[in-house]
Amino acid sequence: MTKVKICGLKEEQHVKAAKRADAIGFVFAPSKRQVTIEQAAELAKHIPADTDKIGVFVNASLKEIEDTIAGVPLTMVQLHGDEPDELVQAIQVPVIQAFSIRTKEDVGKLKKSQADYILVDAPGTEYRGGSGNVFDWSLLDGADIDPSRLIVAGGLNPGNVHAAIGQTAPYMVDVSSGVETDGRKDTAKIQEFIKQVKDDSMEQTIEKTGFFGKYGGQFVPETLMKAVKELEDAYEAVKEDPEFHKEYHHYLSEYVGREQPLTFAKRMTEALGGPKIYLKREDLNHTGAHKVNNAIGQALLAMRMGKRKIVAETGAGQHGVATATICALFDLECVIFMGEEDIKRQQLNVFRMKLLGARVESVTKGSATLKDAVNEALRYWVSNVEDTHYLIGSALGPHPFPTMVRDFQSVIGEETKRQILDKEGRLPDAILACVGGGSNAIGMFYPFIKDKDVQLIGVEAAGEGVDTDKHAATLTKGTEGVLHGALMKLLQDDAGQVQEAHSISAGLDYPGIGPEHAYLADIGRVEYRSITDEEALAAVISMSRLEGIIPALESAHAIAEAEKQAKTMTADQILVICVSGRGDKDMATYAEKLEGLS
Amino acid sequence: MNRLEQLKSTGNKAFVAYIMAGDGGLDRLKEQVQYLQTAGVTAIEIGIPFSDPVADGPTIEAAGNRALKQGVTLQKVLEELQSWTFQVEIPLLVMTYLNPVLKFGVERFATECGKAGVSGVIIPDLPFEHKQLVQPYVDKEGIKLIQLVTLTTTDARLNDILSEAEGFVYAVTVKGITGSRDEMSEEVKAFMRKVREKSPVPVYAGFGISKSSHVEMLRDDVDGFIVGSAIVEAFNDDRIQEIEPLIHAVTASHSI
Repeated sequence: MTKVKICGLKEEQHVKAAKRADAIGFVFAPSKRQVTIEQAAELAKHIPADTDKIGVFVNASLKEIEDTIAGVPLTMVQLHGDEPDELVQAIQVPVIQAFSIRTKEDVGKLKKSQADYILVDAPGTEYRGGSGNVFDWSLLDGADIDPSRLIVAGGLNPGNVHAAIGQTAPYMVDVSSGVETDGRKDTAKIQEFIKQVKDDSMEQTIEKTGFFGKYGGQFVPETLMKAVKELEDAYEAVKEDPEFHKEYHHYLSEYVGREQPLTFAKRMTEALGGPKIYLKREDLNHTGAHKVNNAIGQALLAMRMGKRKIVAETGAGQHGVATATICALFDLECVIFMGEEDIKRQQLNVFRMKLLGARVESVTKGSATLKDAVNEALRYWVSNVEDTHYLIGSALGPHPFPTMVRDFQSVIGEETKRQILDKEGRLPDAILACVGGGSNAIGMFYPFIKDKDVQLIGVEAAGEGVDTDKHAATLTKGTEGVLHGALMKLLQDDAGQVQEAHSISAGLDYPGIGPEHAYLADIGRVEYRSITDEEALAAVISMSRLEGIIPALESAHAIAEAEKQAKTMTADQILVICVSGRGDKDMATYAEKLEGLS
Repeated sequence: MNRLEQLKSTGNKAFVAYIMAGDGGLDRLKEQVQYLQTAGVTAIEIGIPFSDPVADGPTIEAAGNRALKQGVTLQKVLEELQSWTFQVEIPLLVMTYLNPVLKFGVERFATECGKAGVSGVIIPDLPFEHKQLVQPYVDKEGIKLIQLVTLTTTDARLNDILSEAEGFVYAVTVKGITGSRDEMSEEVKAFMRKVREKSPVPVYAGFGISKSSHVEMLRDDVDGFIVGSAIVEAFNDDRIQEIEPLIHAVTASHSI
């Protein structure tokens, strides 16, 4: 999705009007839009934490720039003068270098830039730093500029921004005078501009009241409707609250240890002889998997809602451990429901939860796995709804859960995008992630949904094979149905009874799939494939020995499919695997299943 | 005319019995319905078993699992109802989770319910917001889609739900799932009074009604009672006659 930067803001009301923008620009160079560091710092307090704050400079010294970065603080720097490459390289935050474009020759210059991003602008008139004249977009045709580095500016306004995006497909569009009236920013124009860019995006069209296409909804008993609606309102409120995002990112970095590396898998790349393979290292998170990203977000939200009791379900135990961990951190009461079968498979995680102070309730009903644990957690929630938050662990359940869990997990994809651009200067050709309920996959995929050239592949558990009755390949074999509060794809019989799933991996052992995945499968944006227990185990061995990374059984499904996918790709291509968790919790299974390994 | 429309208050309170279709075998359904009709119940809810009954407590869930083991499906239950030749004089309602209905086909579900003489349907996981998925089809058959209200229903929602209520309103007396309980709080009484004041149709209390003392406590604030777990348990234990005093405690003309 093309990002929006609103530049040259000087007033609080305009900063607030731009809350849906992805970046705000402050001009520190002489201009009618110039602000001081102090003014910018004051305005920055009203900017959501995940919005970039960009300082615009013309031929400033490194010291001036560094002081400004620290003083506001800024997350990016934009240079409009004749700054040398050494300065560009010395700046610690990502740099945008601006070029005025008059002729094809000007286009040639910007290709040599050392900056992270290239901004193309109409030539300045009175002041440097953008003049608002429209430049000839067709000049960029055939210039061979990587669109993922390109920021388009110069004469954009709500009326022409669509055309500009259509012609150049840039990373970001930048507007200043196009959202002004009589030389002053105009609240309505700012909002209209953002709307023009964002509202043809998928986010806006598929998320009408909690539906993704026809999937989703709030199919819960009336007793839960108040809680679900309250949660919906509370989440809407924090979504826009910079303090909340700041707190969330604070814990992600200081407690979870983000950001996680995007590791180049050199030996695996060589062994497979295909594309360059990168691993997104969610296994390095505190507690051992991606689940904690979501647990922190929801626990912070629960506390904002005044709820200090948490109930959660867990399959492999990773979400249970993450939840128990966060409950210990924030001193919240914690009950975890876990299927009896899973308790047997994941005894270490059960003990970890208890050690962390959580109460683990064994669920003996049904298949005694994840589905039944969700049932019991829902029942518990129904009975204790006034003071308890249900901290659901996957992109499942009634609205707003699928959206909220996706948003909290999107940090995976956002980091990956930033990192791959940093390392390779372009987006990957394919990304793979395993899918049970689908939270690590949707978090990885979501920031890439609009990048049509990036192939997205979700990998389900085929268990003993999709043609046996022991698998969890919901999108390969499932049909539409309602379970756990949402219309999604389900493994069910002809009478609408939900069937038991099977996978060696407890975390993928779920007969449904998050509603957004069901939608992405229907529209063909994500392709879903499946991997058997046996193939996953083989991938555990190969990844352990090639890269020294023992993956979780869930992640091994994505790795196994990546091995197949890599064979269809070439050396100039890039493939990313989401390693959603580490294999510590599966060691007993590995020891049993891989007995006699030499 | 839909039999539910005859459930106007005559001074007597209504007793709605819930049974799990096929618990103990589908062939038992007929005798259970006949028994309850003779015992004087006002209406019968026929529960359809479902693999994931999140609104139900252990008693009804266990009954559903027994029925599923017998191979009971929505289709078989509707066929069974359609095959009956004896006179059913009281309203029958079908209570089912949404998924079996979706799988069966919503329109087909409504049509077959119509053929089976069903007066109303209750779908606990179909909230007011999504009821248009089903409403137009049952309307065509003259079948009522019964709405639930609970202690957690906000006033604004309550007004919305009651403004479109038909048949009767199923007022949930506890915050939890179905199942027997010992206590009924003052909060429940106040809630029932509020619902009844606003409701254009009779208000029946359900979820947790198992004793004459529950009935006595709420008698003046509701139009009737729905009894589920206690009946399901009694049928399963072969001691349904023990429920009769409860039925009579509800339906007898009362002037205490």
